[in-house]
Amino acid sequence: MKHDPRLIAAAVVLAVVLLAAGPAFLPPFYVRVGQLMLYSAGLGLAWAILGGFAGYASFGHSAFIGIGAFAAGLVESRYSGLPPVLLLPLGLAAGGLACAILSAAIAYPILRLRGTFFAIAMLGVSHVGAEVTNNIDFFQGALGLNFPPLAPADMDPAAFYYELFLAGALSILLISWLIRRSRFGAGLLSIREDEDTARMLGVPTERYKRVAFVVSAVLTGLMGVIYAHSLGYITTESVYRDDTNLSLIVYSLLGGMGTLFGPVIGAGLLVFITQVILGRLLDFHLFATGLLLVLLILMAPGGVNGLLNRKRRPA
Amino acid sequence: MDLIAQTLADGLVLGGIYALAAVGFSLIFGVLHVINLSHGVLVLLGAYLALLFSELLHIDPLLCIPPVMAVLFCIGYGYQRFLIQHAVDRASVNSMLLTFGVALMLQNVMIWLFSPDMKNITPSYAFNSFKLGPVNFDAVRVSALLASLALLSLLAAFLRYSPMGRVIRATAQQTMAARLCGVNVRHVYALTFAVSAAFAGAAGIVIGIILPFSPNDEGTWTLNAFVVVVLGGVGSPAGALIGGLLLGLVSTLTAQYIGPAFPNVTMFLLLVFLLLVRPHGLLGNAFAASR
Amino acid sequence: MSLLEVRGLSKNFRGLAAISDVSFAIAEGSITSIIGPNGAGKSTMFNLITGYLAPTAGEVRFRDRRITGLATNRIAELGVARAFQIARPFRDLSVFDNVRIGALFGKAGRRDVEAATRRAMELASIAHLATQPASALTVGQLRHLEVARAIATRADLLLADEPCAGLNPTETAAMIDVLRQVRKNGVTVVLVEHDMPSVMEVSDRLLVLDAGRLIAEGPPPVVANDPKVIAAYLGTPDAA
Repeated sequence: MKHDPRLIAAAVVLAVVLLAAGPAFLPPFYVRVGQLMLYSAGLGLAWAILGGFAGYASFGHSAFIGIGAFAAGLVESRYSGLPPVLLLPLGLAAGGLACAILSAAIAYPILRLRGTFFAIAMLGVSHVGAEVTNNIDFFQGALGLNFPPLAPADMDPAAFYYELFLAGALSILLISWLIRRSRFGAGLLSIREDEDTARMLGVPTERYKRVAFVVSAVLTGLMGVIYAHSLGYITTESVYRDDTNLSLIVYSLLGGMGTLFGPVIGAGLLVFITQVILGRLLDFHLFATGLLLVLLILMAPGGVNGLLNRKRRPA
Repeated sequence: MDLIAQTLADGLVLGGIYALAAVGFSLIFGVLHVINLSHGVLVLLGAYLALLFSELLHIDPLLCIPPVMAVLFCIGYGYQRFLIQHAVDRASVNSMLLTFGVALMLQNVMIWLFSPDMKNITPSYAFNSFKLGPVNFDAVRVSALLASLALLSLLAAFLRYSPMGRVIRATAQQTMAARLCGVNVRHVYALTFAVSAAFAGAAGIVIGIILPFSPNDEGTWTLNAFVVVVLGGVGSPAGALIGGLLLGLVSTLTAQYIGPAFPNVTMFLLLVFLLLVRPHGLLGNAFAASR
Repeated sequence: MSLLEVRGLSKNFRGLAAISDVSFAIAEGSITSIIGPNGAGKSTMFNLITGYLAPTAGEVRFRDRRITGLATNRIAELGVARAFQIARPFRDLSVFDNVRIGALFGKAGRRDVEAATRRAMELASIAHLATQPASALTVGQLRHLEVARAIATRADLLLADEPCAGLNPTETAAMIDVLRQVRKNGVTVVLVEHDMPSVMEVSDRLLVLDAGRLIAEGPPPVVANDPKVIAAYLGTPDAA
């Protein structure tokens, strides 16, 4: 499996350039689909740092989308006089920071729970987050928050957000890849496989889990900030979404749990199915995602990619 | 003082309903070691069916309990036999994911059929009330509480005295031993699921007559059930009653004295706190294998 | 100076004493076996040393440093490794990756991970299985993997929990050979083992536990003829 590194680098650059050039030749509908694919891939990758690598499957990661989006919105509305070039970095910083603080605060108690209990507790976190955002006037969750338009005047907003999502997804992919090949990544993998044994071998499981949790939360939050801008106006319901909670799991299940590209493949497939194949049947998306999940569990519990992987792992 | 008495009384009424809404979840958890995330959907299904029946036949919603339970019994049996059973022997997260998927599918279906709007079941005595000392009781709330307690007792008696109930309890305690004794474990699992779904449906009716409901509530009712089980212990109607009453009191007290927005927040903090204090406690003893 | 020292260690489970007031010392470079009837507290002893359980009283010292109360992974970082009786491999990873986790973590300090991994696999004679997934190994091979993974941590002390249980004579001989190699590489070994012939053959010293108490210790021939030990294994006339 050793290839010429220059060849790989060239292929990567070519792929990135092709992706970045997408909006130039894609029809508008597919630019929007591409946006959604990149957004979903970024979220799926961020989720998988915890859920795929460390095996802590969260059922409530939309909490961090919501926290990131609302933190960014509240801060940006306070400094709405600033030029757009500064607003987005400000929002990203606010959203990322809010997610970092909140996830670090809940990391210790919630990561003592394992398996199903962790999953449920995270579902609870997202519901509580939604409730707090909706019911406390300060957060304006029920009323909604406006985001200033950021796209340069000479650029199609859809293309602009496509590029932003692309940058986000690529950054998260890069981070995942770096984690994957690091000592930290190997430690996370050992936690997924058998946490007690990992600790017995000297893996600082508690610290690693917490770091993975915070990194995953912050990256999810940053994607949430971009998403909120692309919507222009958000309420609690538009960011704290149960179907997002579900989709994030489905991406990894579909593409291959714990693999680097699994969430990307899964996100691409699922968005293609819901947006392109079922594009006209908007009300059907939740149903389709649920059905896909059911079919996956019944037929290929290791994920489509997981089945293939099992065969070629000894390589 | 009167306010406290009123709040406590309201809490008990709500608690009885929480208990009923959680008892099926608890039973499935206890016997199959499955966390049924579609439990809330089954509860709401009961509420919508009762709404349909009572409007169609012009009968008291509480009289809809037997037919609704019968329908959900069948749905539950089939659901377990044809779907859950295929995932139950694998990792516990898998069966939970399966029920999560089903929950969202059914939520979507309910939105198509019944619209996403809030609905109410209004019995004829909806606006009657009476006073007991300083405390005001709505006729609806009292009948809801009585119905809950009656149904919980019924389930307790079924589990304790009927041959089927004994087999269910035996399977919960020693699945392998029960299998060796010739128990058809799949059938028992399916029956457990059916009973659980039936009681979820009944709970939905009781909920429907005192609270507005919409398809989006399913997650709340599932989480409520989870909290009740953690509070009160797994697999028994008595445990569900204790957990339900505790949760009811906590919710109403929070809503009254901290703010109407916070019952779920308090409830969740309570849940996490309990899981941390006794991570293997209430649940762990019965569910050593479920991890 | 002894490598490991156990002082007045006790562990109660709900008032039931699993270990009561046990003290002993392990000399660096030795192979010591802890023996005793079922339920004597041998595995509990390992759990106490590795920090998996907290003792009711007493302490464990490693290199004259108190390790009781440290987190399991901290104890591993100091150089204590454990091989489980019921092998607990990372099933989805290859043999190489399993051992590599040990080499990446374990005793603190810089290291050449690849080399440490290969060396540990060779020492435990599983180098030829490197690319196999752990889930494809036999029981005997898994025991070797346990030892390899523990050695890869560059531990100074290996606690091996019944490495020979359930193995046939050939496999047992191979395991004994591996343990000797491990010691030759400077690792002190403490065994819990039931297989008496292997214990007698490989050990420098024996510790005998019975009902949570240390009833005898010394070189194998001496301990084997100790009347208290014989009574513990065969039962005294009035206890039987």
